[in-house]
Amino acid sequence: MPYPPQKTSAPKTGTPRIVAVSPDDGSAIDLRNPAVAAILSWCVPGLGQIYQGRTHKGRLFMAAILATFLVGLMLGGGKVVYVSWKPKEIRWAFVCQAGAGLMALPALIQSMHLNGVAHEPLWMNGFMTPPLTSGQYVSRAYADSLVQADPDIVSEDFFDKPPLRQFRGDQLSIWHRQLGRWFEVGTLYTMLAGMLNVLVIYDAWAGPLGTPTDEDRKKPKGNGTSPPLHL
Amino acid sequence: MLCAVSLFLGIVPLLASLADRVPGLLFGLPLVALASLIFAATHHEDPIEIRYATVHWMVWIGGILGVVLVAVVLLGWMV
Repeated sequence: MPYPPQKTSAPKTGTPRIVAVSPDDGSAIDLRNPAVAAILSWCVPGLGQIYQGRTHKGRLFMAAILATFLVGLMLGGGKVVYVSWKPKEIRWAFVCQAGAGLMALPALIQSMHLNGVAHEPLWMNGFMTPPLTSGQYVSRAYADSLVQADPDIVSEDFFDKPPLRQFRGDQLSIWHRQLGRWFEVGTLYTMLAGMLNVLVIYDAWAGPLGTPTDEDRKKPKGNGTSPPLHL
Repeated sequence: MLCAVSLFLGIVPLLASLADRVPGLLFGLPLVALASLIFAATHHEDPIEIRYATVHWMVWIGGILGVVLVAVVLLGWMV
């Protein structure tokens, strides 16, 4: 189905409007401020589309990506999204998970607090907290909360190094033992949610990608596919 | 008769290998659906077109991954 770009009259204010062309019916899609829309879509998947008035798509993206991320988090026991940049434990999966936006932000906060002067996460229940590595120092309060909450961690797993405690186990191994395959399944779900949100962000920034139809392929090539129009 | 029995005996381990992977398949299918939906929705604007394109993408992605899975299972079975 051909979709020639439709001309729209410039608004009286003289402010250029950025529009994309719908590949389905050739109508113009007002992208408003594409940069703002893209940032909003990163923060909350689909919010950028809602900002642009494309509420059906926005709600669709929001429901699909949020649900996938939350299901992944649930399958992984709340442990699969975390930030770790230590030589022994680099969490590359977070690079993909971060694409989901503000949902992954608590992981960054928890990591900064745990590895900072506080030596304990902001939220002590361990939500999105990176696993402790052997030799890592933590506060007494956090060590005690871990011993209370996790049956596989005992007080003997910590050396007493006042005012802190030094962990001498490997918490990631404990998680893998406790969760089994669900750790990987949860990681996969959250990574995929983040990666697919990158496409959503692009849709908010530049409109639908549009695929050439058979009729378009038969036409002689001109300037290629229609980029967003500035009117 | 002998050929039919041999064929049956050959297919059963293959089906058993596939069935062993069912938990992975079970949790992989929603991801295929999600990817199809996002691909379709980022290529179209009309809800009806998105619906058709989602099914189209699901067939493609499912088909490609299915072929890869069958190939991996066959290779694993032969080794």
